[in-house]
Amino acid sequence: MLASAAGHEAGERGTSAGPYGRNYLLGLFAGDDSGFRGVGGESAAVRPLGELDDPRRRILIQALAAGFFSSAGNAAAQLFGKTPGKLPAGQSIYRVSGRVTVNTQQATLQTRIVPGDTVETAPNAEVVFAVAEEAFLLRGGSRMVIEKPPSGLTTALRLVTGKVLSVFGRGRPTRIVTATSTIGIRGTGAYAETDPEQTYFCTCYGIADIAANNDPSSRETVSATHHDKPLYILAKGKTGASIRRAPFISHTDQELALIESLVGRTPPFVFPMDTYNAPRRDYP
Amino acid sequence: MRRGEIIPSGSRTRSVIGPLAPAACSTGNTGWRELGAVAAGLALLAGASAPARAAGYSEFLDSIEFRGFRAEASYTSDDNVTRAPSGDSLRDRILGVRVSAAGVIPLSTRTRAAVQGFAGTQKFGTYTGLSNNFIGTQGDFFFRSSGEFAAATYGAFVRTAKEEYDSNLRDGYRHAFGVTVLKPVTDRIQLSGALARNISDGKSTVFDQSNTSLRGNADWSLGRWDTVYLGAEFRRGDTVSTGRQTLALVDTADVIVQDDAFNDTTRFAYRFEARTWLATLGYNRAFGERHSLDVSWRRVQSMPLHPPGNASASELRYVVNQFSVAYLARF
Repeated sequence: MLASAAGHEAGERGTSAGPYGRNYLLGLFAGDDSGFRGVGGESAAVRPLGELDDPRRRILIQALAAGFFSSAGNAAAQLFGKTPGKLPAGQSIYRVSGRVTVNTQQATLQTRIVPGDTVETAPNAEVVFAVAEEAFLLRGGSRMVIEKPPSGLTTALRLVTGKVLSVFGRGRPTRIVTATSTIGIRGTGAYAETDPEQTYFCTCYGIADIAANNDPSSRETVSATHHDKPLYILAKGKTGASIRRAPFISHTDQELALIESLVGRTPPFVFPMDTYNAPRRDYP
Repeated sequence: MRRGEIIPSGSRTRSVIGPLAPAACSTGNTGWRELGAVAAGLALLAGASAPARAAGYSEFLDSIEFRGFRAEASYTSDDNVTRAPSGDSLRDRILGVRVSAAGVIPLSTRTRAAVQGFAGTQKFGTYTGLSNNFIGTQGDFFFRSSGEFAAATYGAFVRTAKEEYDSNLRDGYRHAFGVTVLKPVTDRIQLSGALARNISDGKSTVFDQSNTSLRGNADWSLGRWDTVYLGAEFRRGDTVSTGRQTLALVDTADVIVQDDAFNDTTRFAYRFEARTWLATLGYNRAFGERHSLDVSWRRVQSMPLHPPGNASASELRYVVNQFSVAYLARF
């Protein structure tokens, strides 16, 4: 039994009041004699929220019903993580940390992201989200525009600055525009970092047609199964040589597996290249 | 002592009480020669795939995916290098260096093998007889059912290493084999476990040991560059404790030999069966993808399985605390 509209709203957002349920909480905070008698008993001194005479008590109950336990759950998930799976319909963001905005509005787990939106992250922030069949991990200090798709393309991305790991639905042509390159891809996992001087682009798997923005003669098609040919695309390279080989940096197979799982897929490889971002001590 | 090998392990043999082993044992110089050989081996492994591809000599070599070198420099404070009850425990500081090179051989979509060569040295500040050089190799076989995020990776491994100490009795070989499992639980927590049989074959019988260990480990990522790890391990089998002669230790030990690693006074190495718990708490802070700093605390507690009638197990138990700081790099 929910005693207020606020409680209903909180319930619809998936708020949990824990093992005792909301009746217990309302009973506990409604009056001096409510206490444990409120647990599952019809005789509990539970009064509808509107009948509570003390406004402070009402505020407390509203706060509890609306967010306390939800926040605790979110905090636990933030701290210990969660097992990634396909996002439920209507949910775009899987994880957000630090200051992240969508169209300049602070992003939360409830924020929807759709084509036409601009996602920005502050330094040290990060957001993991999905749009239709595509999923992204946008690192700190990034600005990405998910453009409304022109005809024939499912998705078009413009990575103005920063770093993004992306996976795209198989057989769906997509275009990524960065500061120095334009990349057409199909059924691909890809990682890109861009600034005004150069773009780092790794075709983690799939096919990518890569072209330097300032040098039409620098073009390359990469068909990769597992990070086979990362590239730098330079803003001011020599004509015909604006695309160079690059090392494998700054993204992991576990991250690819994570974002693929948000859209109900698994990456084509079975073994991750390296689980960790950094060297670790071995147990001999 | 090398990390993770606080308790020397090896196979059981007959009971022996005897003096120091003959001085005809190899010395640290041999160890350095061995290290040179391993360094050459590591370099060979590092370059194996490229020349093989270039020359097309061998499909097998061509199939090895070289995974680079790793290096580790560590400083450890150990409050009980003798592994002895409190009256006989000695403290020391250890500087260590370890390098390794690894390669992966894909066998099928869901299976692969890995090979690793490693070598290193440990220098003790005070009890230099414990300083040692080691070289070894490890082979792993892995199975993973799919690329799903939470899919477990199962493995089996075999490892062998040769150790040369600045003293003589501990020189020998150390072997291990076992099974492993690794499973991401959430996007921040990963669990791993291992069941292993450890065997060591020392120059002296007292350092011929064996034990079985069960280990669990949890990695908790606080962020992209910060990881806290917690490990627990139980070992049952032989352990060696060095101390002055006591009736209780003599009655407990299967083998007793005068230990040549300590020259401050006459100390004896006692081998006996024990149950041993190891707990590790560590923090890894990465500086980019190729460098990290690792700080860890390890506590070891060992109790004899068969204490004599004239002493309780708690009188013979020993406790070790190790604090380590390590800088790690891969290239």
